[in-house]
Amino acid sequence: MALRFVQQCPIKWASKLARAQSTLSAFEIQHKTPLIKKQSPIPIAMYGGRHAVTMLPGGGIGPELMEYVREVFKYAGAPVDFEVIDIDPRSEESDAFDYAITSIKRNGVGIKGNIETKSESAAITSRNVALRNELDLFVNILHCKSFPGVPARQKDIDIVIIRQNTEGEYAMLEHESVDGVVESMKIVTESNSDRVARYAFEFAKRTGRKKITTIHKANIMKLSDGLFLETSKKIAKEYPEIEHNDMIIDNCCMQLVSKPHQFDVMIMTNLYGSIVSNVLCGLIGGAGILSGKNYGDHYAIFEPGTRNTGTAIAGKNIANPLAMLNASVDMLNHLGHKEHADLIMNAMLKTVSEDHLLTPDLGGSASSTEIVQKIIDHILQADIRPW
Amino acid sequence: MALITRQIPRIFIQATQGAAVRSIHNSTISNSPVLAQRPDTRVTATLIPGDGVGPDLVYSVQEVFKAAGVPVDWESYFFSEVNPTLSAPLEDVAKSISKNRVALKGILATPDYSHTGELQTLNMKLRNELDLYANVVHVKSLPGVKCRHSNIDCVIIREQTEGEYSALEHESVPGVVECLKIVTAKKSQRIAKFAFDYAVKNNRKKVTAVHKANIMKLGDGLFLRSCEEMAKLYPKIEFEKMIVDNCTMQMVSKPQQFDVMVTPNLYGNIVDNLASGLVGGAGVVSGSSYSADCVVFEPGARHTFSEAVGKNVANPTAMLLCASKLLRHVNLTVYSDMVRNAVEKVLQDGKVRTKDIGGQNSTQEFTYAVISNLELPKA
Repeated sequence: MALRFVQQCPIKWASKLARAQSTLSAFEIQHKTPLIKKQSPIPIAMYGGRHAVTMLPGGGIGPELMEYVREVFKYAGAPVDFEVIDIDPRSEESDAFDYAITSIKRNGVGIKGNIETKSESAAITSRNVALRNELDLFVNILHCKSFPGVPARQKDIDIVIIRQNTEGEYAMLEHESVDGVVESMKIVTESNSDRVARYAFEFAKRTGRKKITTIHKANIMKLSDGLFLETSKKIAKEYPEIEHNDMIIDNCCMQLVSKPHQFDVMIMTNLYGSIVSNVLCGLIGGAGILSGKNYGDHYAIFEPGTRNTGTAIAGKNIANPLAMLNASVDMLNHLGHKEHADLIMNAMLKTVSEDHLLTPDLGGSASSTEIVQKIIDHILQADIRPW
Repeated sequence: MALITRQIPRIFIQATQGAAVRSIHNSTISNSPVLAQRPDTRVTATLIPGDGVGPDLVYSVQEVFKAAGVPVDWESYFFSEVNPTLSAPLEDVAKSISKNRVALKGILATPDYSHTGELQTLNMKLRNELDLYANVVHVKSLPGVKCRHSNIDCVIIREQTEGEYSALEHESVPGVVECLKIVTAKKSQRIAKFAFDYAVKNNRKKVTAVHKANIMKLGDGLFLRSCEEMAKLYPKIEFEKMIVDNCTMQMVSKPQQFDVMVTPNLYGNIVDNLASGLVGGAGVVSGSSYSADCVVFEPGARHTFSEAVGKNVANPTAMLLCASKLLRHVNLTVYSDMVRNAVEKVLQDGKVRTKDIGGQNSTQEFTYAVISNLELPKA
C-alpha cells in the first residue's frame, strides 16, 4: 500500500516542482511554500522483503511499550527493521525532531508513542501537531472495535472515526490583539475537507461499510463547520450506495454514550475528533487498547489511539501493552505483512479472552511483562512461523 | 530416519577426527528451549548450485545444515548457461525465488563469446527478471586468514541492473563497435538510498560514492548527483566521493578507511574483486543481491573455479557465510550464529585449512571441521 502511495507520483505538481527546484531545497519545497506541498517521492525503504520503519518512542510509557513491540516482533519474525530516534522532551532544540521527520520521509512509515512537548513557551509548538503538519498527514483513523474479553460499558461496538488531522482548531494560530483579548483561529479549507471526505467514502467503499456520519457544529460556526459539512455532502452525492447523514457534536456525544451502535463511519474536524475518540475509547475499555493511524499522501504513522503519554504509570510495569501492539499490527497490515499481523493479533486475542490476563487499567492484576510474555508464548505455539 | 541422517556426519567426524568430538548433533533440537518450541515451522529457500565448484560448496552447506538441524527446506534448480540443455528454464527459477523470497546461489559461468548472438548473460537475465538491483559484498578480515592487511571491514554496494551491463552493443560500421552505458536517475537514487539505509541499519558512519564523473560527466555525473541529493536526507552519515582509479589505489594501500561504498555496475564489480583479494580471495567473501521483495545470497567475488571441479579443494567458507546470512535474514538468528561461529572457530584454530588460504585440507575435511565445531549459543 505504501508502495502505491509513493508510486502515484503527483504529476500535476511535477512542473511546479521543477520550476522551484533550482532555488529551493527539497525541505523548503515541502514546507516553506504553501502551494507546493508535495515532494517528489523518495524510493521506498524495502529491501529483500524487509521494511525499514522509524520508531519514535516518545515520552512516558512510550519507551517501555516500544520495547515490548520489538520483543514481540522478534519472536513473530516480522520483517521490519526499526530506526529508533529518541527525542528529548525537555530540550528546546529541534535537531532530533527534524531528524525524526527526515527519517520518516526516508522510510515512509513510522510508529510513535506520544511525544511530549514540555516547553510552555508560545514559540514552541506541540511536536505531535508539528509532525503531522510537516508530513501532511491529513487524516487520522481510529477503529473503535470492542476487544473480546475486555470489560466495558458497551459491547460489540464497531465504529471508524475519520478525523481531519492538520487544520481546524489545531492550526496553532493564536494571538493577543489587545491586552486581555486572545484570538484563536480555526481554519477550515475546502481542499482539506474534500480530501478527508473523499478518503472516508473511499474507505467505506473499500471496507464495505454502509453509513457515514459527518459530525459538525454548523449551527453555530456557520461558515467554517458549514464548509466542512457542505463539502462532505457534495462528495456524498458521488457515492450513492453509501448512506450519509450529519449530526451536531453535542448530540453526537450523547448518542455515543447511550446508543453507540447506530454509528458506522464518522468524519469530523480536528478537535471534535479528539473528543469523540476519547469518549469512544472510554466506552470500550480505556486508553490502553485502541490504535490510531495517520495517513498522508506519502507517509503513514501509527500510534496508540488516544494520545496520552501515561507519564504517571511509566516504569511501574503496569502500562497496557495492547494499544502499541495494536498499532504495530496496523503497521504490519499497512506494509502488507498480513500473516505476521494476524499472528500477533491472534496471540493478543487469546491472551485477553482465553487467559484473561489484563492490566490494572482494565480491572486485571497482570503486569505488562506478564502479558507480553504470554503473547510471545502464543506466538511460539502457533503452527505457522512466517518470516 | 531423520535421526539416522543426523548421525551419519557424526560417524564421519569420528573417523576423521578421532575421539575429540562433541556429541551435540543428535541433541541439538531437544536441548535448546529456543529451538525446541518450533518443531514444525520450516522455511523454504531456493537453491541454485551453479557451475564449477558450486555443487561441492552447496553440498557442504547442506551437510552443515543437516548437522545443525536447521529448519530449512531447499528447492533445488540446476541453472547454467554453459549447459543450456540441462538448465531449468529462467521462468521457473525466477518464480521459485519470488515465491520463497530467499535463495542461495553458486556462481554461473559466462562464456566469453556468445554463440547465439545473445548479449545478455543468464546472470543478467535473472537479475533483471527479479529486479535484483543491489549487490552487497561485505568484505571483512577473517580471523586466522593471513593477508597483507588486517582489520578491513567495508561494505561494497553495487548497482547491478544498468550501467555497462545493459547489454546494448552494436557495430554501426564494420570495425566500429558502440557499447552503451545507461545511467538513470531513478535507479541511481534507488541504489544511493539503499546504501544509506544500509548504513543506518547497520550503524555505519560513512558512505563513499565511487565514480568517474570527471571523465563521464553526464553518465557518472548523474549517479554522483543522485548520491549527493540522497546524502542530504542522512545528516548523521558522512558522505564522501572518490574517483574510481584513486579508490582502487586507496583500497590496496589503506583499505581500513572505507566503510560503506556505493558504486555503479562495472566499478562495483572491479572493487568487489579487488577488496575480496585483500581478505583472502574468492573463497571467503560472501555477498547478496537485493530486490524490494527477495534476496539472493551468493559468494561475493564471482568465480566458478572450474579448474578445481572434482578435486575437492575449494574453500566453502564463502558459501557457508552466505548460508549464515540467509538464516539471519529469515529470522533464524540462533542457527545463523551457530554456523558463523563454527566457521570462524575453524578459521581461527587454523588446523584445518583449504589450499587457497595456505593449508592442505580438502573441502570435505573443512566441512566436517565446521560441523564438529557447531555449538549452541549460550542462553
